[in-house]
Amino acid sequence: MKRILAILLAVAMLLSLSILSATAEELVDGKFAETRKITVEIFDRSNDGGTDPTNNKFTDFIKAGMLEKHNVEVEFVRVPRWTEVDDMNNLLAAGDAPDVCVTYSYPTIQTYANMGGVIDMNPYLTEYKDLLPNLYALLGDYNIFYNQDPETGTVWAIEALLAERARINTFVRKDWLEKLNMAAPTTIEEFEAMLVAFRDNAELLLGADAAKMIPYTTSYDIGWRNDHLLCSFVPDAATDEELYINGFDDRHLLFPGYKEGVRVLNKWYNMDLIWKDFALYGSGDTTEDNNLKAGFVGAFTHNWDYPFRNGEDSIHANLKRNAGEGAAFIAVECFKNDAGAYRKFLADSIDRKVFFPATNDEPLASMLYVDFISSPEVIKYLQIGDEGVNHDVMENGAIATKAAVAPDIQNSGMNIDYTITINGLELFDAELTNKSKALNYAGVESEYVEMALTASKNEGRTVAHFNVGAITAEEGMGTSLTEKRDTFLCQAVVAAEADFDAIYDAGMEDYLASGGQDIIDERAEKIAALK
Amino acid sequence: MKNTQAALRRPHKKLSWRNYMKRYGTLYLLLLLPIIFFIIFRYLPMAYITMAFKQNNIIKPLFEVPWAKKHGMEWFIKAFKNRDFLFAIKNTVTLNLLDLVIGFPAPIMLALLLNELNHRSFKRITQTVIYLPHFLSWIIISGLALRLLAPTDGLINILLGKVGIAPIPFLNKPNWWTGTYVALGIWKEAGWNTIIYLAAITGISPELYEAAAVDGANRLQRIWHVTLPGLRPTIITLLIMNLGRILGSEFDRPYALSNKLVTSASNVISIFVYQNGIKGSQFSLTTAVGLFQSVIGVFFLLSANSLAKKFGERGVW
Repeated sequence: MKRILAILLAVAMLLSLSILSATAEELVDGKFAETRKITVEIFDRSNDGGTDPTNNKFTDFIKAGMLEKHNVEVEFVRVPRWTEVDDMNNLLAAGDAPDVCVTYSYPTIQTYANMGGVIDMNPYLTEYKDLLPNLYALLGDYNIFYNQDPETGTVWAIEALLAERARINTFVRKDWLEKLNMAAPTTIEEFEAMLVAFRDNAELLLGADAAKMIPYTTSYDIGWRNDHLLCSFVPDAATDEELYINGFDDRHLLFPGYKEGVRVLNKWYNMDLIWKDFALYGSGDTTEDNNLKAGFVGAFTHNWDYPFRNGEDSIHANLKRNAGEGAAFIAVECFKNDAGAYRKFLADSIDRKVFFPATNDEPLASMLYVDFISSPEVIKYLQIGDEGVNHDVMENGAIATKAAVAPDIQNSGMNIDYTITINGLELFDAELTNKSKALNYAGVESEYVEMALTASKNEGRTVAHFNVGAITAEEGMGTSLTEKRDTFLCQAVVAAEADFDAIYDAGMEDYLASGGQDIIDERAEKIAALK
Repeated sequence: MKNTQAALRRPHKKLSWRNYMKRYGTLYLLLLLPIIFFIIFRYLPMAYITMAFKQNNIIKPLFEVPWAKKHGMEWFIKAFKNRDFLFAIKNTVTLNLLDLVIGFPAPIMLALLLNELNHRSFKRITQTVIYLPHFLSWIIISGLALRLLAPTDGLINILLGKVGIAPIPFLNKPNWWTGTYVALGIWKEAGWNTIIYLAAITGISPELYEAAAVDGANRLQRIWHVTLPGLRPTIITLLIMNLGRILGSEFDRPYALSNKLVTSASNVISIFVYQNGIKGSQFSLTTAVGLFQSVIGVFFLLSANSLAKKFGERGVW
């Protein structure tokens, strides 16, 4: 019996190798003899004044490059950015997913991998390592094999490089602080006092629009939109292991101390410091952004560069137009943990996940695409575009991004949606990259960007990655648990102060009973087994 | 008169198969297309109901997927152990019952009112205007609702604030939300649903009204004793159809109108299926839920129908 099995396995291995080599033989100097065709996913942000994300000057550049270098025709398939996980699910379920897929949700990939719907990249990554120099140079083994199963060796997805580790920031209105003769807050008490001052001085700050005053704004995504505040309640002594075990939720919900952070939000909500209607609006709604742009908001927490994004349509630019030249949001640090540090959790150096669905008939051509999109010249051009159109070169050589309009506009900052293997400016010259970072936002004074960059990473902590393989309990749980998290956090924030504990505890209990506890237990078990 | 009745009663002369097809063949040909449609798009997909009893895999061909654990009942057991699902059933039944009790009579009353209008062009215009909301999607209505009903930015609450009334949580407290949900449902569909009743009213013989008038019946009495009895078969039929949907649930209406603060009232079965099935890729679990929903629906439909027959009505079939 054993012998038969061994023979069968050997035959299977030979077969798979011969299939692999058959495709490789058709490559001459990295070029296919016959033109191949692949489809590639592209996020669609439907930005104002943007171009068709599947067909513009940058896609032309990519298409021409792939055709010339590898003789591969590329077709882009759009997926709406803000519902990408849902859409990806639909595409995979229908067997319509593009050959090269990108998503932020690893659980989605894992679920389909378990059904046999995803290609194992490992054989291609190892067999064709020589054909993929750019990919290996950019990502390194850490990112490429980040998700490798420790037992079976499978790689369902490679992790893009997060070149900029900054995550989020808390921003406050600089001009309002000046009007009220206040210094930028450095502690949570000062922050709260500032919000109270905003609330009480609405007439002075907003005049006729005083009724629209929002001292602090947030969204239904409580975890992301208040992360620095919430995580400042996590004890400094928490170990990496402990945080990994409780680290399933990417908003740090299960970290110790989290509840006390939410309690602060609840208090503020009841003090009328937080936007009353925040929980009514869903993902992608622009009501909150419009409030920020109109100048009704005193403070908020969001992506580290959020006010600076989108050139002419940025919050920064709109604020100047609507609230005067001096109006601006500046990044502040005010949330200290029990050790007195402005501790915040930084992302690991991973970003989006690139994978190939099983419906991909051109895995090698797709792999070459991933390599092509990782090459320095391509990344550089996509990120900064054409000189004089998308950027200017400063006297010291630094690259300053310019606001471009269609057809030259970059639909996403630095064309991040096309550079699927990297997120963050990378000009392949450390000094130049650093010099240029602060100039990366068209129309935004570099000191604001520098402040934001420093504040977002200062005293940050990265939780170590433990590669324990797939956690079965996480399968299919991601979306329903995320939904539960957002729901009970919103309900806890808007609760009357007396009801806060009851609502938070009931929500957490439901979260744990609906699969959260199983995940924690399995993670703990697997980590114990590592030792 | 007598002649035609006799003609109607005369039994059909038996046609030979060939003659029959010659006469009615084209009609059958016309029927072919819808039949093909139903086979391809309604009956063949039913094979996938078996997903409810199989392991969760939509990548492999259906017949290759092994049966689920616990004799194929794994997903049903999981569903009934899942409290979200139990809440979803409760919410679905609550919202549908409210719709039935409050929403079902609304178009009947509206149709009666319209029927009593004498001014022709006024009646026409009113009808057209009340049909309009039917053509708006729930996404648009939810947008309108937010602009009008949000606690601080909503127009209605701003106006209430001006006269010193505290904001009403139309959308952010579960009980208020339920009311808003039902009210918006009536606003959107009541007008449209009058069509069928108005059509039925035109079918009522004018002689009955004349006779009633001769007997000295006033307006209300005529409505009560002539119009309503005339509408009874239509009402019963629609009621039966509605009962069949008691566990069925719309998706876009609760989904578009809901928000994180009212999920305890708004999470219905269709949202459960969307969250877990489409977003969470648990296709077998949600197929099981869908099957359960349909079985209950059929059960209600059949019992309502036989009840109706028991009370001397015609029923749906």
